[in-house]
Amino acid sequence: MSVGLDNLKHIVVLMMENRSFDHMLGALKAADPRINGLTGTESNLDTTNEPAKVQPNAEFQSQLDPDPDHHFPAVHKQLFFGTTGPPALPSMGGFVQSYFDQQRDVNHSRKIMYYFAADKLPVLHTLAHSFAVFNGWFSSIPGPTICNRAFAHYGTSFGQVSMDMFYLKDPIKSTYERMLQAGRTAKLYYYDPSSSTMEIVNLLQNQPQIFGTYQQFLSDCAQGTLPDYSFVEPNYTDHTGDGGGEELASDQHPDHDVQAGEVFIASIYNAIRQNADLWRSTALLVVYDEHGGIFDHVSPPACTPDGYSASLQDTGGVPFAFDRLGVRVPAILVSPWIAKATVVPGPEDPASGRVFEHASIPATITQHFIGAYDARTPREKAALTFLDLLSDQMRPDSDCPVFNFS
Amino acid sequence: MATPSNVIRVPKPARSSFNPNRPVTKNTLLKNQIEHFRKLEQKLPPERQTGVDFDSIKTEGQASEYIRKMTGILNPQVAKRGGR
Repeated sequence: MSVGLDNLKHIVVLMMENRSFDHMLGALKAADPRINGLTGTESNLDTTNEPAKVQPNAEFQSQLDPDPDHHFPAVHKQLFFGTTGPPALPSMGGFVQSYFDQQRDVNHSRKIMYYFAADKLPVLHTLAHSFAVFNGWFSSIPGPTICNRAFAHYGTSFGQVSMDMFYLKDPIKSTYERMLQAGRTAKLYYYDPSSSTMEIVNLLQNQPQIFGTYQQFLSDCAQGTLPDYSFVEPNYTDHTGDGGGEELASDQHPDHDVQAGEVFIASIYNAIRQNADLWRSTALLVVYDEHGGIFDHVSPPACTPDGYSASLQDTGGVPFAFDRLGVRVPAILVSPWIAKATVVPGPEDPASGRVFEHASIPATITQHFIGAYDARTPREKAALTFLDLLSDQMRPDSDCPVFNFS
Repeated sequence: MATPSNVIRVPKPARSSFNPNRPVTKNTLLKNQIEHFRKLEQKLPPERQTGVDFDSIKTEGQASEYIRKMTGILNPQVAKRGGR
């Protein structure tokens, strides 16, 4: 066990919304070729058969409107356009075609290939360069939010590939319930009552002690009362706060402002960073739930099935046995015990690449805080854990970034 | 802790970004969340229901107000704390 792991008392997971790896981090390859981002030559054919190349023209807002389709049938087209579908390798060639389906505007459909230039996302890009960025973290399902977030909470979506939230099946318990039963502490922090968690339907009525708000998270960090495991959710809506102020959605879900999400990520990081005891004993994972219909160039690999088959009604008639992953998403692990500029290789490195997905979250939490625990799906049991990235050497404060909002 | 070389300035979003009047139909996540709350509310006894006319929810701001009421019903502990 590394010294960093020996010191680890808290794990915080911040899950953002609907952006692909290449869209958010693809530009970083230019500065660090180990990062499996974009060369600038990647393209999809548009509906006039002209290549639509990736371009560093992504904007913070008003570009991906309407919300790109990311339900299972649309993602299937994004992955397999031009092929006969599984078992063929995903072509990653149907993103422009899929976006065209929504508005039937060729020029607009090409925007699904846009990515953020290296100077546009100072928070996410700084964290990626400063800590550990994963080249191979994939969403768990080639589909939408709810089923993917379910994997982060339960290690399975109980056979769902849709937005259906009523999915629980015994004996699988959420990570939070497992933790409490094991005498540990865990909390799911949603932003505020006007932007509560998607999981409220499943967990809240029986387990109110599991839940807190963003303000409580900040307070818990400052007071050193953070639980062993924290899952943080951003603000999902533009709304008026209790004090009458404007609360800007920070989830980065199109068409919400990406810069508001940058501020939110930085605030979570700073809250941990500003408490010295917490900083040295906490690992923060920043990860996105799914790609939101936006282009990524890496074909999702196969995975261990979790024993379910999806409803053909939900998949558009495509058989799906939960045996392959969804599109790649940004994932960054933050801790002063991580060597600067760590790049975790993914499928691009057949010899030492590692594939992670959202089932890696409950797998890691359970392994670290609980130990042996059998009531899990085969998928979660097979998921890789990520705490081996913590080293024996704690980096000095001067080597770790601080975010300034002034 | 902070030295000039490790301080990263975080730009603020434009004030014009705030739009609670954005149609709820533009955000499938939000649309699904309030639909699930509606299904859940229909299972509650009448005295615990919000009384909100679901069909009147057209904007993100209206959806968040409905979510606030439902969260208050489901999690009165946090609602009492007034936690943001």
